[in-house]
Amino acid sequence: MTIGEKFTAAFITEDRWQLYLKGLGITVEIALFAAIIGLVLGTVLALMKLSTTRNGKPSLVNYIATAYVDIIRGTPSVLQLLIMWFIVLKSSNNGVLVASLSFGLNSAAYVSEIVRGGILAVDNGQMEAGRSLGLTKAMTMRYIVLPQAMKNIIPPMGNEFITLLKETAIVGYVSLNDLTRAANLIQSRTYEAFMPLIGAAVIYFAVIKVLTLLLGVMERRLRRSDNR
Amino acid sequence: MITVKNIVKDFKNMDGSVNHVLRGIDYTIEQGQKIVIVGPSGGGKSTFLRCLNLLETPTSGDIIFDGENITDPKTDINKVRQRMGMVFQNFNLFNNLTVLQNLILAPVKLKIMNESEAKEKAMSLLKRVNLEDKANVYPSSLSGGQKQRIAIVRSLCMNPEVMLFDEPTSALDPEMVGEVLDVMKKLADDGMTMVVVTHEMGFAREVGTKVLFMADGIIMEENTPDKFFTEPKTQRLKDFLSKVL
Repeated sequence: MTIGEKFTAAFITEDRWQLYLKGLGITVEIALFAAIIGLVLGTVLALMKLSTTRNGKPSLVNYIATAYVDIIRGTPSVLQLLIMWFIVLKSSNNGVLVASLSFGLNSAAYVSEIVRGGILAVDNGQMEAGRSLGLTKAMTMRYIVLPQAMKNIIPPMGNEFITLLKETAIVGYVSLNDLTRAANLIQSRTYEAFMPLIGAAVIYFAVIKVLTLLLGVMERRLRRSDNR
Repeated sequence: MITVKNIVKDFKNMDGSVNHVLRGIDYTIEQGQKIVIVGPSGGGKSTFLRCLNLLETPTSGDIIFDGENITDPKTDINKVRQRMGMVFQNFNLFNNLTVLQNLILAPVKLKIMNESEAKEKAMSLLKRVNLEDKANVYPSSLSGGQKQRIAIVRSLCMNPEVMLFDEPTSALDPEMVGEVLDVMKKLADDGMTMVVVTHEMGFAREVGTKVLFMADGIIMEENTPDKFFTEPKTQRLKDFLSKVL
């Protein structure tokens, strides 16, 4: 086959380009829901990890959060996905939901460490100043520390989202037709690997490039209070 | 106004040994007094000051503020802190907020004033320290002296009954020390109760009602400013004064 014929077989015949597009839709959908779950749960976990009792010792919630992060980080995400699909949510046949949840719970563990690090990097004097005015710990966290932690959090968080988006490529294990699986299916139809695989790679790259640019804009906006 | 009874503060070191920072402090601060605390570093001055509003929790001992034992775990410490201002060595202005937002955050969020009242009060206080033109800038664009004057104003916005100063001029360039001390002197003249940890002996002599010499975790000597500097009793204070004066 010539290059042109290979291209036609991989993308045009039987409207195969639609398969990539649908696959990308599923990839993005899972990554987006997982990112939201990861962000919310990860922030909660970070706050749990930072919580102390009145006399400064680690509290019970602290141990729970630490155990959670340990377990999630200590097992492969593909195994977590399989456990979720075949055991925990066996009765569900909504693959996107199960995958989103699985990746969300996984991402939360990493996000919690990012958020925790971001909070710890804010000078402790900010918290002390808030408390000395009579603000509660929660108020100082919300109005003073977290907004400043955001600046530290954005770059590694972008990294985490990018990793997450690419990690969804394993959802083929639970028979979801994401972008990678779509390329795979077309390869098995045409017996031609180059076009579908490189094509999928280019699509992933383009999506992540756009994401990177958006994160850059966000980071610059957040840094405004530094140089005025 | 504030009575401190036998406060002890121990810090655990990494190797498990215990560092006795405060070894039993008894003292009473009366309304309107300006207590200036001086002494060698590591002597417990800052820890003592930070115990007064419970930024450090004493290992043992009681602190009675206006008849209320604030070391009692049942006391709402946030309510107590609303009545005690604190100024830090490193200013600690909220970096993510403009000057005006720094000033009104606590009064508004704690529902002590509404936003327009708080702004009005903030602006009039800013005027008193000649910084009203800085209301809408971020702290990063201010000099150290400006930051510290604004930190003082931020505390004053809460209408505190007592102000605690933790080495307020130690992080400043020498030419900016004066502008901050001037604000503190004005505050003293207005009758504010103040507890000031400082290395500025001139300020201690001029403004202090009492000067305390803290070393080795105790109040080693206490006197009126005149006698404190002219008739030191202990050898430790004599040595200290000969080094700093």
